[in-house]
Amino acid sequence: MKKLTALTALTLAVLSGLAHADRLDDIKKSGVLRVASFDSNPPFGFVDAKSKQIEGLDVDYAKAIADKLGVKLQLQPTNPANRVPLLVANKVDLVLANFTITPERAEQVNFSIPYFSSGQQFIVKKGTLKSPEDLNKWRVGVDKGTVNEGVLREKFPGAKVVAYDDTPFAFTALRNGNVQAITQDGPKLIGLLANVPDKDKYEVPPFTISNDLIGVGVPKGETALTEFVNETLVELESKGQAQTIYDAWFGPTTKTPLTRLYKIGDKS
Amino acid sequence: MDFSVITDNLDYFLLGAYPDGPLGGAALTLLLSLLSGLIAALLGLGLGIALSVLKGWPRGVLLTVLGFFRAIPVLMLIFWSYFLLPIVFHIDVPALATVVCALSLIGGAYLAHSVHAGIQSLPEGQWAAARALGMQPGQVLRLIILPQALPIMLPSFLNQWISLIKDTSLGYVIGVGELSFVATQISNRVMVHPTEIFLFVALVYFVFCSILDLLAGLLQRRRSGVRPTT
Repeated sequence: MKKLTALTALTLAVLSGLAHADRLDDIKKSGVLRVASFDSNPPFGFVDAKSKQIEGLDVDYAKAIADKLGVKLQLQPTNPANRVPLLVANKVDLVLANFTITPERAEQVNFSIPYFSSGQQFIVKKGTLKSPEDLNKWRVGVDKGTVNEGVLREKFPGAKVVAYDDTPFAFTALRNGNVQAITQDGPKLIGLLANVPDKDKYEVPPFTISNDLIGVGVPKGETALTEFVNETLVELESKGQAQTIYDAWFGPTTKTPLTRLYKIGDKS
Repeated sequence: MDFSVITDNLDYFLLGAYPDGPLGGAALTLLLSLLSGLIAALLGLGLGIALSVLKGWPRGVLLTVLGFFRAIPVLMLIFWSYFLLPIVFHIDVPALATVVCALSLIGGAYLAHSVHAGIQSLPEGQWAAARALGMQPGQVLRLIILPQALPIMLPSFLNQWISLIKDTSLGYVIGVGELSFVATQISNRVMVHPTEIFLFVALVYFVFCSILDLLAGLLQRRRSGVRPTT
């Protein structure tokens, strides 16, 4: 499935040069902003038990962008592997789904300036990981179609990599002993553990193996839309809304308290 | 085992976010199954008759098309038509329509061969006798052949419909919120009850398929009751 997705993305990227039109105008005309978000990754994007709608940090940013445009927000759930194809096939206008900015992806899609930063970490059963080097001999679960997979293979060439559809699926494999560790962006793992009733049995060892910047995915070549998203993000930071959004999901009173190390505009 | 996760989220399992959002869950599975089942049956019937009637190269073309749809996996057809059609032909097929089309085309291709086999199973003399009575080919098919052949085909149709109900779950690959997709969302949120959740999902599919099975059984019994076989 991963090969299939990569192949599609490639084909679509080649063919997409044929389509023209200014997406920003199209969005304003249609009155709807279509955004792909995760539906299984608290606190970035997840289906809320009460409202039954997708909510989270990514969704709050999407709402802010839609509000600034003065249009309705329409969310489309996605898994990690479908993020690039959704943009290239014009199924969504933006991707806000913990989307790490990489040079390879930037060949197929535009990225906004980063609005979040995280490092790749691991979840293991408590006390099992004596030193990071152990990972070289372990079976490690990753999410298909993520940057984490490549980084893992590069840093721990001895690890047996097992790819899953999404993080909760990988965590189930860890719980059942199919893998000995799973890897993802730290905040995502902490968000996952926060919702696990027996979280005391697991830990996130305090080391990171990468430094990832998260941006908004925009269809390739849509300069006006990319500029608009960038302006909105800068404005959200300057007016303090970015901090409010962060605090709502990672603030001291939340299930996942994390110090905010990165502010919009720190890196471009 | 703690089945409160099922009762707590029952409306999401059954209806998705409806009425505050799009219809999803078991209701969407049912809707997708009914629509694609109906279209697949009509397609299968039409193409199966065509397969029995056509000769020469048109039949060859039809056989190739049917062969194509029988040979590609449903998952691939769904994935490619969703992501590729908008680019190549500038046709934007919505996710739900993609699933219905893919299941209908593939189901129809399978059924076409069943229908063809059903028609072929009748002795040649049936055609000859009806023609000798002065019937047109269309009349022979409608009045003589199909009333005998359709009951023979029922088990094939039933197999295809049952397999189709379960195949609706492949819509997950393009984010269609049918039963197994919403179940995964719930499972990913509560994290610790995949066993209960997916046992429940299996049960729902089992109930759907069994009801169809029972209905077909009833239909068959009623038919054989009305028209005693000799």
